[in-house]
Amino acid sequence: MSSDDSPRSRILAAFAAHLREHGVRPRSVGSLARELDLPEREFYRTFASMDAVEGALWSDWIDRTAVEVASGEAWQGFGARERLLTFLFALTEDALDQRSLLLLRWQPLKLVERPRWIVPLEHRYAAFLDPLIRLGMETGEIADRYLLNQAIPPLFTLHLRAVVAFHLNDESSGFERTDAFIEKSVRLAFDVLRPQAVDSAVDFARFLSSCSCRK
Amino acid sequence: MSEVIDGTGQREIASTRLTRMAALAGTGAKVGVNYLKYYGRRTLTGETDKESLHAANAAQVYKTFSQLKGGPLKIAQMLSIDQNLLPRAYVREFSQAQYSAPPLSYPLVVRVFRREFGRDPLDVFDQFEPHAAHGASIGQVHRAEKSGRRLAVKVQYPGVADSLRSDLRAVKPLALQVLGVREADVGDYFREVEERLVEETDYALELRRSVTLSAACAHLPNLRFPEYYPEWSSPRILTMSWLDGVPLDRFADSGASQDERDTVGQALWDFYDFQVHQLHLFHADPHPGNFLVDGTTLCPLDFGCTKQLEPAFYRKQFRFLDPALLSDPQLLETALADLEIVLAEDSCEARQEIVTLCQSSLALVAEPFRHETFDFGAEDFMRAVYEMGLENGGNERLRALRGRRGSPHSVYVNRVYFGLYTLLCRLRARVRVQLPDWIGR
Repeated sequence: MSSDDSPRSRILAAFAAHLREHGVRPRSVGSLARELDLPEREFYRTFASMDAVEGALWSDWIDRTAVEVASGEAWQGFGARERLLTFLFALTEDALDQRSLLLLRWQPLKLVERPRWIVPLEHRYAAFLDPLIRLGMETGEIADRYLLNQAIPPLFTLHLRAVVAFHLNDESSGFERTDAFIEKSVRLAFDVLRPQAVDSAVDFARFLSSCSCRK
Repeated sequence: MSEVIDGTGQREIASTRLTRMAALAGTGAKVGVNYLKYYGRRTLTGETDKESLHAANAAQVYKTFSQLKGGPLKIAQMLSIDQNLLPRAYVREFSQAQYSAPPLSYPLVVRVFRREFGRDPLDVFDQFEPHAAHGASIGQVHRAEKSGRRLAVKVQYPGVADSLRSDLRAVKPLALQVLGVREADVGDYFREVEERLVEETDYALELRRSVTLSAACAHLPNLRFPEYYPEWSSPRILTMSWLDGVPLDRFADSGASQDERDTVGQALWDFYDFQVHQLHLFHADPHPGNFLVDGTTLCPLDFGCTKQLEPAFYRKQFRFLDPALLSDPQLLETALADLEIVLAEDSCEARQEIVTLCQSSLALVAEPFRHETFDFGAEDFMRAVYEMGLENGGNERLRALRGRRGSPHSVYVNRVYFGLYTLLCRLRARVRVQLPDWIGR
């Protein structure tokens, strides 16, 4: 949440403040605009709807974290798994500043529920994942499975939701169990994603079928 | 700290409380199935092969416990030391128990550092190895350097302290059932073990204990302790100087000469003798991975598990070393009653049984104290100790004795001496032994 006083920042700050204060989103764009003493025209030039405002609130969380981790010294030397871990640890650390908002908005959600305000976050996360997955394929951490590759970002998005859900229910001191959850679930994910016997089998089958074609 | 991490073949820790519970429930079911098989076979053949039943169950339980790591396996190890609690097959399986955790990823190590110190490892140290050098009991050890000093930095697995507590709660009913003991009889023992295990997750406490014990034992010959660095330590991170050397078990299995073995064995004996009998506070984890040997110098590591004895209890416990007790059953019975091993409500017969049994056990366990120099390499000694444990464990009449008996403080005393004897036997060391000077006065 940047400190500049562009309409965007002002609207986001007022939205979050309202949510914190009252436990619900502002009733309407009109009421929020009035609160900010902002002409509605100006408001709609920035955000098309209340969902768009909330969408930006959460997608900023992803962007902020992505910028922060990429500026770390060790980042360039990290592989895909280490980058994802670093990102998720930073994300849950950042979450401590807005835990009350998360509890209000995310905790009631079921894992598969996709309200409109969560979609921008998913897009930003997918944009963050894209180079990470390509890196994973270069380093050999992730097997290239052609059509199945498309399933990876949605699965990681679901995983992100699971991490947040776990974090919100975590009552361990310092939320240490969230760390353990991230560590173990990411290890499991990369154990599944790395090239293994089934990939060699597919490759071998393809080779055999090309041999029989040539006959 | 002997487990070397290979980064590949690690098993997943069953992570959430629920999956742990499920794994435990699964074991309960399998144990039940084994019993069914046993009763089935008995009906069919009329044979009672209880030993093979225990063996099948022990293997199953051990497998589950080792998947869970954390608390349950430690509990199992502890109970296996107090052999009287366990049928022999359990002892065999559990005695193999080794504790290991899968390695932490470097980002998680960074995370722990940020939480504990607010800085990255490389902002704290000049150099820091991202990959662990080896595992520790509930974390791992990284090599680091600061101002030219070589350091060992122990980082605890996040969440261990919390999962330990829930594991212990989850494992207790099953353990009671599997061991065939009643909570009322062994509840104190569980509490004692739990307390020590929870202490082990507090590195700040470990730091204080390490500093105290290594300073108090510094004058003993052929011992070397790491230097500890409070400024780079916290409840989850413990920094000490890096010591070179080989783990004690590797030294024992090497071609070291008898003189070298005797020197290291003597250092080990003196280390424990001084702690138990002078300090009444001791390193309670005599596991070969907790010691390095450099030349003929013994380096104790890892003071995570320590036990303090009240002076009054210490006297009651070690009075049994008095040779007079062996020849005088009346004296022995008084000592046993003092420790509440013999209870006032016991029948005359039961008393007789316990006294006779303790007489033979004591004759054996205190044997090293009857010599000026004792050769732990003598194979029949250790075998006799093991067999005694098995025999007592297999003694159904003894196991059937109900009531809270003995003191929970004895758990760690037994563990230390059993562990010490085992290590010395492995070293094949000859050791000079002295009775505590107050004995027999």
